[in-house]
Amino acid sequence: MSDVATRPVLKRRRIYRLWRSFRRAQNWELSTGLVIIAIMVWAALLAPYIAPYHPNQINIVESLQAPSWHHWMGTDFVGRDVFSRVLYGLRVDLLVVAVITYLGLIVGVTLGTISGYVGGWFDAVIGRVADTVIAFPFIVLVLAVVAIVGPGLKGVGIGIVVVGWALYFRLARSEMLVMREQPFIMATKALGYSHLRAIFRHALPNLIRTSLVYSTVDVVVNMLVIAGLSYLGLGQQAPGADLGSIIASGQSYLLSAWWITTIPGVVLMLFGIGVSLIGDGITRGDLTLGSL
Amino acid sequence: MSETLLSVQDLTKRFRLRRSLGEFVTRKPGDSALAVDHVSFDLAKGEILGLAGGSGSGKTTLARMLIRLVEPDEGVITVDGRSVRDARGHELREIRRRMQMVFQDPYASLNPRMTVGTAILEAGRVHHQPGSEDGDAFVSKFLDLVRLPASMAVRHPSELSGGQRQRVAVARALAIGPEVLIADEAVSALDVSIQTQLLNLFLDLRDELGLAILFVAHQLSVIAEVADRVAIMHLGVIVEIGTTAEVFHNPQDEYTKSLLASHPQPVPLDASREIRIVE
Amino acid sequence: MSLLTIENLRIAFPARGGSTEVVRGVNLEVQQGETVGLVGESGSGKSLSCRSIIRLMPSHAQMTANVQFDGRDVMAMSRKALRDHRAHNVGMIFQDPFSCFNPTKRIGEQVAETLRVNAGMDKSAAHARAIELLASVEIDRPEQRYRAFPHELSGGMRQRVMIAIAISAGPRLLIADEPTTALDVTTQAQILKLIEQRRRDLNMAVLLVSHDFGVIAQACQRVAVMYGGYVVEAGPVAEICARPQHPYTRALLESIPSLESAGHHIRRAGIPGQPPAAGEMGAGCPFAGRCAFARPECASVDMSLEVVGDSHATACPFVRTVSATSEAGGA
Repeated sequence: MSDVATRPVLKRRRIYRLWRSFRRAQNWELSTGLVIIAIMVWAALLAPYIAPYHPNQINIVESLQAPSWHHWMGTDFVGRDVFSRVLYGLRVDLLVVAVITYLGLIVGVTLGTISGYVGGWFDAVIGRVADTVIAFPFIVLVLAVVAIVGPGLKGVGIGIVVVGWALYFRLARSEMLVMREQPFIMATKALGYSHLRAIFRHALPNLIRTSLVYSTVDVVVNMLVIAGLSYLGLGQQAPGADLGSIIASGQSYLLSAWWITTIPGVVLMLFGIGVSLIGDGITRGDLTLGSL
Repeated sequence: MSETLLSVQDLTKRFRLRRSLGEFVTRKPGDSALAVDHVSFDLAKGEILGLAGGSGSGKTTLARMLIRLVEPDEGVITVDGRSVRDARGHELREIRRRMQMVFQDPYASLNPRMTVGTAILEAGRVHHQPGSEDGDAFVSKFLDLVRLPASMAVRHPSELSGGQRQRVAVARALAIGPEVLIADEAVSALDVSIQTQLLNLFLDLRDELGLAILFVAHQLSVIAEVADRVAIMHLGVIVEIGTTAEVFHNPQDEYTKSLLASHPQPVPLDASREIRIVE
Repeated sequence: MSLLTIENLRIAFPARGGSTEVVRGVNLEVQQGETVGLVGESGSGKSLSCRSIIRLMPSHAQMTANVQFDGRDVMAMSRKALRDHRAHNVGMIFQDPFSCFNPTKRIGEQVAETLRVNAGMDKSAAHARAIELLASVEIDRPEQRYRAFPHELSGGMRQRVMIAIAISAGPRLLIADEPTTALDVTTQAQILKLIEQRRRDLNMAVLLVSHDFGVIAQACQRVAVMYGGYVVEAGPVAEICARPQHPYTRALLESIPSLESAGHHIRRAGIPGQPPAAGEMGAGCPFAGRCAFARPECASVDMSLEVVGDSHATACPFVRTVSATSEAGGA
């Protein structure tokens, strides 16, 4: 029994495995995507330290200035530095979109896996609820929630979660229906494991990948919904900054001071590209980090 | 070695045939066919009983009913006198601890995301097996039992060959401390040279641990190599049961005879051959 | 002249840092009307090798070989000639009869389609001939079965239909890639008998690929044994079974479970270790790591076949099996 066990027999450290597979994987999509998103996340996190100006600092004298050394992304119609606003806006947007997307995912996947596994009336009831939610046009339902709760990011957030979980429910449920028949899941029954263990320790980790890949699409969609609703005035309220409201504010100046609308739009687009690349990278499946 | 461990009587499983729309509307109960038809047999401690039959014979359904992966419709199953069908909750888990199964497909019977060591340790811990507190030692012990190196514990199933995976599946089953092992076509998906290794492993485990083994297979030759007794199943019924020698050399039932007759003839090896090494 | 000659077949797949050879120099010959077996375990390259005859490769496979069919160079065939070759010269049946059929079309129509496309028959002629073919493969009530869908038939019957399609054009060679692996023992025997009957009636050659030596021994006259991408031994079936010359063949034959063992409690040796995976093969004999007779020189063996008896050749230069009673020993 003398083996070269300088590492613990059972686990190599997760981080070590992740790093190794990242280095080894010639997965340019994933690498590029992660770099883009990492830059954005860091920028947003460090906003209070790197923003050259306060996002709401009004300076009429310097209004509507084109991008320059002083103002990397120019200024808007009341002289606020667009770059600082974008940084703070990203902060808000990224946080909100991450929370609501993954909250929806957690709720949906949990319900979906349980539903697919147990079937019966539980599945019938929740399934019908999910079907109803999916049947409604997404935006209409979100708007309805916002109408009830009132404008602001809180309303938008709640609205998106209330609608968003249903698709994850469906995804997870259909994967579970297939996985249920797999020998290794049947084996958990033969091994005398509890249903809870079978669902959460064995089935779930194997079916989460599809939902995670889907979430990368969902994140982009949700980001656009938030930006869109803010643009309409229903999301982030003034004077708070978020990408959508910045874009909205520059609307009237599209031909003269194009930077107010266009540059945040480009940032939004980069975000979408970065997330999609990550999604592609995960789909390629080169990762051995338990395959995310 | 003659103490009866597992006893099965009149075990039956029906399956419903599809009803036509007319029958459905008029609420006629559909026809049912018997997948397993009032089957009875015993398994003694330390005995290897082969269960042979073609596809559709009901042997897999029968094996799965023993651990209630499939619920029987009728009949009695007892392990050491205790009824399996009536067991609930804690009792059922105890029954499952005593009877474990190894499945056919080595590529699908292990959780692809768990390392070998984690899978084996989980089995031990869920059933509170002695020694399972010390993860490394516990896992090494069972890997050793199935003749795999201890370093295999950190690997994932995708890194292993079919034969190695089956050994891991056996180790996982053994970690629970069963007295009966049900091998459901456990070697059918393996290459011939690996099959023999696994068969020898089963024989060793029987010798070392006193395991009783129910060996389900469709290939009679495989059963001939390991089983002490054999039951031949056809259309849900055991048509013949006896010691392997008796049944294979002196079959009584017509189906058994036809099964033996269509088996590919053993390859004739020249008994007088010898090996010479060329320089 | 042989019907089929394969010389120096090599098949490689692109892999990290170059390519991995999966078939590493295979030579095979099939005469008119004979049944040849190709036996090997997983990773031996036998399935890929038999597909080279009709160039049925995955698109990323890199294949080089000299394949002569009836005197014509298969590798040099144009697309049209190749299609013609596949349609009329060679028929092929596969292991899993279910996945080879279109599940939404009736099986009779799938047979008739082959006749319309390859033999140019019109609809009614194809229909009639299809029924004849179904009858010739011993399917009962062929007119009714014509209208059945694949999932309504048993595995054995689907295999019969596949055979019907494969022989519909009267091919010179039938390639059967593990035709009985997914079947019951009783059905297996019937299918093998059917193939033999059709072979005799049509004077076809048959190349039977299997991992089951019992099947090969029952159905074939000659056999080639493959391991690790090479043919390690080839010759008449009876001779190879009686006096296998290559250590792998010998070890394989000895590890095959047999009905004769019933009640005897003698352990078979088996072969330690496992067959090499595609990326792992080095120079020399791929079996050296598991061979009871291995020696340092095995790493530089060139795996060419050496004739040791009447059309019996082996790739192992070191070990010979002789009959104690015969004069004709090894080299």
